Amino acid sequence: MQDSRPPPAPPAPPAPPALRQSPSGPRASLAAHTSATGVVPAKHTVPNFRRMRRIIAEDTEWSLAIVPLLTELCIQNIIRNFRDNPILKQLPPEYQQKVLNHLPPDLPLAVTANLIDDEGYWRRCCMQRWPVCHVDQHGGSWKRLFFERHLESLLRCFIPGTTDPNTILDLLPLCKAFVRSLHVDQLLPPVHLPPTPRTAGDQSDSGSEGEAEESSSDHYSLGPLVAGLSQLEELDLVYGVKDCGMNFEWKLFLFTYQDCHSLAATIKACHTLKIFRLTRSRVDDEKARILIRSLLDHPALEELDLSHNLIGDRGARGAAKLLSHSRLRVLNLANNRVRAPGAQALAHALEHNTNLLSLNLRLNCIEDEGGQALAHALLSNTCLTTLHLGGNELSEPMATLLSQVLSVNTTLTSINLSCNRIGPDGGKQLLEGVADNKTLLEFDLRLSDVTQESEYLISQALQANREAARQRALNPSHFVLPVTANGHRKSVA
Amino acid sequence: MNPSPSSGVLEHNADEDLSTPIHAPSIHSDDPQERIQARRLRIAARVEARRREALGEYLDGKKESEEDHSKSYKQKEESRLKLAKLLLYGTELVTNIRVAIDVREIHRRVEEEEIKRQRIEKLENEVKTSQDKFDEITSKWKEGRQKKIPQELWDMLNAQQLHCAGLIEDKNKLISELQQELKVKDDQYVKDLKKQSEDISLLLERMEEQVKSMMKAFRQELFNIEKAFEVERQELLTSNKKKWEWALQAHSTKELEYLVNRIKRVEDYEQQLNKQRIWDSEEYLIIKIKLEQDVQILEQQLQQMKATYQLNQEKLEYNFQVLKKRDEESTVIKSQQKRKINRLHDILNNLRSKYAKQIKQFQEENQSLTAEYKRLVIQFKELQKSMRHFALIDDEKFREIWLMNEEEAKGLISRAFDVDRIIHIQHLGLPWTAPDFRFLNNVGPISQPLQKSATQIVEEVLRQTEEEEEEEEAVSNPKSYLDLPKQISAKTTKKILMLLCDESGFLIESKLLSLLLPLEKTECYLLRLDAIFSALGIESEDDLYKLVNFFLKYQAHHGSSSQGETNPRDGTGTERSSLMSGVERRSMATSLEQRSLESNFLRTSLAPGSEAAEQTALEEGEGGKQEEKAAPASSRLIHPNDVLKILEAFVIGLRKPRDFGAPLKVGKDMRDDSKDSEYWEALTTVIPAAKQSLWDTLYTALERYHLVLTQRAKLLVENESLEQQNAELQSLLQQYLHSKINSKLQVPPTQVFRVPTK
Repeated sequence: MQDSRPPPAPPAPPAPPALRQSPSGPRASLAAHTSATGVVPAKHTVPNFRRMRRIIAEDTEWSLAIVPLLTELCIQNIIRNFRDNPILKQLPPEYQQKVLNHLPPDLPLAVTANLIDDEGYWRRCCMQRWPVCHVDQHGGSWKRLFFERHLESLLRCFIPGTTDPNTILDLLPLCKAFVRSLHVDQLLPPVHLPPTPRTAGDQSDSGSEGEAEESSSDHYSLGPLVAGLSQLEELDLVYGVKDCGMNFEWKLFLFTYQDCHSLAATIKACHTLKIFRLTRSRVDDEKARILIRSLLDHPALEELDLSHNLIGDRGARGAAKLLSHSRLRVLNLANNRVRAPGAQALAHALEHNTNLLSLNLRLNCIEDEGGQALAHALLSNTCLTTLHLGGNELSEPMATLLSQVLSVNTTLTSINLSCNRIGPDGGKQLLEGVADNKTLLEFDLRLSDVTQESEYLISQALQANREAARQRALNPSHFVLPVTANGHRKSVA
Repeated sequence: MNPSPSSGVLEHNADEDLSTPIHAPSIHSDDPQERIQARRLRIAARVEARRREALGEYLDGKKESEEDHSKSYKQKEESRLKLAKLLLYGTELVTNIRVAIDVREIHRRVEEEEIKRQRIEKLENEVKTSQDKFDEITSKWKEGRQKKIPQELWDMLNAQQLHCAGLIEDKNKLISELQQELKVKDDQYVKDLKKQSEDISLLLERMEEQVKSMMKAFRQELFNIEKAFEVERQELLTSNKKKWEWALQAHSTKELEYLVNRIKRVEDYEQQLNKQRIWDSEEYLIIKIKLEQDVQILEQQLQQMKATYQLNQEKLEYNFQVLKKRDEESTVIKSQQKRKINRLHDILNNLRSKYAKQIKQFQEENQSLTAEYKRLVIQFKELQKSMRHFALIDDEKFREIWLMNEEEAKGLISRAFDVDRIIHIQHLGLPWTAPDFRFLNNVGPISQPLQKSATQIVEEVLRQTEEEEEEEEAVSNPKSYLDLPKQISAKTTKKILMLLCDESGFLIESKLLSLLLPLEKTECYLLRLDAIFSALGIESEDDLYKLVNFFLKYQAHHGSSSQGETNPRDGTGTERSSLMSGVERRSMATSLEQRSLESNFLRTSLAPGSEAAEQTALEEGEGGKQEEKAAPASSRLIHPNDVLKILEAFVIGLRKPRDFGAPLKVGKDMRDDSKDSEYWEALTTVIPAAKQSLWDTLYTALERYHLVLTQRAKLLVENESLEQQNAELQSLLQQYLHSKINSKLQVPPTQVFRVPTK
């Protein structure tokens, strides 16, 4: 069969080439020549062989092989003068691409921002500027990446009072259509007359600057910038200095009331904002409440991250209120000063909430009282999937209650109780609870005084649950128990 | 997958249906509930089957995969689990750092809190002690004031100073302690920073390590899986090869076996063949001898046959000769026949062509005839049209001619009358009276009055009676415009009709009744009567009168019969007879009327002065009046219940005259010219014969008189001429006599003769 097939096929194709080859003998050289110069004129390929030959004999181009085509020259000229005279849209598509491929990446943004959409160009720009670029973190768009990181770098280096605010605002009309997220991991405070405090620095840094410089140490106000960015969805801010090292001074980490108010007004006005993060900025209860008040009934906000701040119970109560007045899906209050009352308030809000998927209270101090309140809330909540209660001084009573919750709740997939004092008995109770649960996939009990045995058994149960979840994901139609049992047996074996 | 269980179920269902056709619900049942039930059962069975199948298949598939791909599957599963575990442990390892830091932080916080508390306590204590000391010092100041001895004061001041210095010392100590602590904290901070960087580097290291190990693990696992697959493939290959070889071997052994068998069989067959050959040769010899004998016999027979053949040949030769002759003859005949056939064919062809021609001809003729027929029809139509037109014109012309002739005749008659008058007055000296001829008043062609339809009459009657009612009993229609109430008045007819209308409502269609409701009373009656008449078949004026008369007469008869006899049959019989008699009488009356009219004409023509006919007519009218008076009384007596009987009788009676009445209608539009000749005759005989003879005699006498008178006139003229001649002659004579010549003459003529004197 296979042998018989090829023979009939080859004879057919060779015939036309043979016919074609004879006239194209002289033309081949011409074709090579034209392809070297760039564009092959369409007319030359069409006329019949006789005429062709005659024309070749008198072709004046024949001897001018090295001179590039006019179009090529034009394109080069356009590229050279693109800074002053950007011509792109008027060109035919094939030339457009050629121009884009040869444009230098250091053109002024005012020229390129709204004119060039080509990803290749922006990729070159990015690669030239930054060694590491994660385009996935910027929606897969190089242009967006470029503008976002450019804006971020400007904001990082902005020193209020000394830097001209127009450097940022000038960029605004160019980048407003592309910037969707802003991750600013440092905002510099204004620089004060350096010499005098420098000399007496050792004495004055004891804390006197708290009041005296409060008024004048405001950071850059993001209001006009954010108002201009119509597409902004993610805002990640740190009011502090990064990598200060041994030059640490408290005044570098001041989040003033003025800052707080302006930021609150900014995020309130930004209706497209989905993710708001304000971390490591020494936000205390009052400021947190100011911010949260501005976020009440926000139309789009889905994630709020206020980790590594100084938020106490009042701030937590504010956050609880926000839970019932918004569509928040992720709330992160890690490393704050929330205690039992704040946790109780959050638990109360959680009881009737149907939006929140993830709650992070790591490194707080909610203790058993708050933990129990949260566990009670979880008995009726059917939405929360992730709960982080690491480092919260929780102990055995919480574990007993949580084991009851685990046997009832079917939405929780991940719980973290690491760095608590659950104790061996609590571990056993949790094991009972996990044994009854079929949905939990992760349960962190590291460094919480649980016996190795119960931890191992819990991990086995979780393994079984993961297998079941995998089977469910693989073939959602077959929801058959025997299979999971099978998998379980296997995993055990 | 699906069809097999479903068909199975169907079969199952069918089986069920067959086994328990009454109880099991069938899909083809008439009862919808049962059908639904059946469908439900079927669906349940199908679902059950599918579930079972899925489960079974799934398990089967599992088993199969375990058996078939056991190694690869196991390897895959194993590596997956291994990798998952690795991943889990790796992340745990990485996050352990965070957890450890968290724990450290918590511990730090706890310690910090403790230290803070201690510090605050210490500070508070210090504050207390210093306050005490300060209080002591201040209290000593008061003491110092009281002291007046400078030495003491100095001592005290010194002591105070000492105390103050101690206080300050304490404070300074505290401050230095705190500063020390701060320094320690700074150191701590530096350490923390270092630690942090260490942690971070550790984290990075671990992450890197994790990544590396994971990559390694993944690679390893991939390699393992591939190896497993390879091994499996190899195994599969070897097993397949083994199978193949085994099959080949089996095949070759079998082949060998077949070969041996075959050889054996070949030998066997050869032996058999040999045997067969020997047997065949023997048999052949036997047969040969037998056949030779047969040949001898047959040769003998051949000789005999040859002899007979010879004989037969001669015979046949003769026969052949004869037949040859016959053949010649037959060829001649054949040619003749052929010729004949040709001829006949020719004729046939001719006839055919003729026939075709004729058909064509006839068709053409037919077409022409039809065309002509059509033309004729059109012509006929035109002719009819023209005839109608001409009839109209003729009528007109006839009328004009009639009028002209009549005028002429009338002129002549009037002249004749004038002449007659003159003759009477002047010549005879008699008084002249103008004859009265009614027909002279006639202008135009004589026409019979048209018969009115029954409904028209009814309408008239109704209208008339209404008018009469308005006029308040003017009694006996003064106009007498209708010669209809010959026996009956309009009122009685109206009453009878009303009665009829009320009683015979069943003859009217119900639709009509509903339509009649909104109409006026008279119109309503009219329409009802119309419907009733159409139902009864009453069409003409006469029929209506017949009906009315019938009613009256029936009443009269019935009254008498009811008085005299009680038998209803006789009554009906009499009714019929009376009807018949009434009809006859009626026809008789009409014929009589006609006759009287004719006689009227005759009489008038005969005797212009006589008025007897008119009198009789008047008398008849009076008689009608009398009857009319009797009629209302009788109509009142008609009981509504009798109306139907009367109607029945009438309808039966009416049918008969209707039968012969129909053909009369055909010549209706033909003008009857029977009276024309009478009319013209009458015109000619306007001057009676006696008068003519009188005129004749008078004419002859007058002729004669005229002759005499003409002679006299002639004579008178002659006389006059003679007198004139005479006078002329006398004058001439006088002339001659008196002329001069006379005197010259020898003999004067005057002497010759004597002059006559006058």
